[in-house]
Amino acid sequence: MALINISTHEIHCKIVYYGIGYCGKTTNLQYVFKSINPSVRGEMLSIATETERTLFFDFLPLDLGTVYGFRTRFHLYTVPGQILYERTRLAVLNGADGIVFVVDSQAEKFEENVQSIRELEMNLRRIGKEMSHFPLVIQWNKRDMPSALPVPVLERYLNRRCVPSYEAIASSGKGVYATLRSVSKGIMSQL
Amino acid sequence: MEQLTNLIISDHELDTITNALNKLMNDTSASSVMLLDKSGQVVSSHGTSTKRNATSLGALLAGAFSSSRHVAELLGEKDFRTIFQQGVHENIYTTMVEEQWLLVIVFDKLTHIGLVKVLSKKTSEELGHTLERVRADTDRQKSSVLNIQFRSSVEDTIDLLFRD
Repeated sequence: MALINISTHEIHCKIVYYGIGYCGKTTNLQYVFKSINPSVRGEMLSIATETERTLFFDFLPLDLGTVYGFRTRFHLYTVPGQILYERTRLAVLNGADGIVFVVDSQAEKFEENVQSIRELEMNLRRIGKEMSHFPLVIQWNKRDMPSALPVPVLERYLNRRCVPSYEAIASSGKGVYATLRSVSKGIMSQL
Repeated sequence: MEQLTNLIISDHELDTITNALNKLMNDTSASSVMLLDKSGQVVSSHGTSTKRNATSLGALLAGAFSSSRHVAELLGEKDFRTIFQQGVHENIYTTMVEEQWLLVIVFDKLTHIGLVKVLSKKTSEELGHTLERVRADTDRQKSSVLNIQFRSSVEDTIDLLFRD
């Protein structure tokens, strides 16, 4: 839930990157962290295992500066992707204003992606939100992989609601900002 | 129940929150008192120990609380509302305000946990009334903040800052 503080003239929004393990959620945040103007970003916080897999969440606060008198801040989170961390994903989803569903485009990951988006829909319901009325953007990541499925196939099975979607290669930054712009504007339009 | 999409806190209500937090901080001799939204955003923060890292602390404390709540649920707990973190120097007591906010008190070994529990319960009830008023008033305040000029300006800023 976005928080608007009239006294301090601040607006805070929470964006959560959701998706299966190794789909590139953390890579999205890392690319934003290293490429955005340093004055816009705060410290990136990662609670990861020894092998650098997300254990709880990654967190990157962005400060857009003063917009029409209001200091506007977006807080970016990722969830851990592995199946066994479902409860942790639900914990991080709490209070989200918008979601980026990151899809690993590789054919061998297709079934996992389908399960993950179903789980997301169920988890949103658990926190009192309906996917159809919620700012959601899909990112088709890893478009450079040899076994990447064609986008129309992914659209057909994973984007039945026809939400905005973007092709990406998060490791090189392609599509990262297009996705972030889209979800940010989606949140603002629903405030 | 469909949740509100935002919560707008007026000057007056923020003053009420500030007074309640400062009173709790003084009465318990706490080093810091924070009010967080369950999403991890900081509503109000007072005191020295949390000043520098308030944003990160907000995200971590809310995450830890939410995680503990799920643990409690898996163990069959029905109404889990507080966490006590006992540190070497600083202790942290976190309690829920309704189902929306988290009241966080950071205190050292000179303060007794019993005092923190009793006084935070009272403050939490007061803040619960404030939250009710904030919820009731959010729709009225919305048009004054989220007008067309704001929306168009924020879109321009997003285009400017989030670009390749």
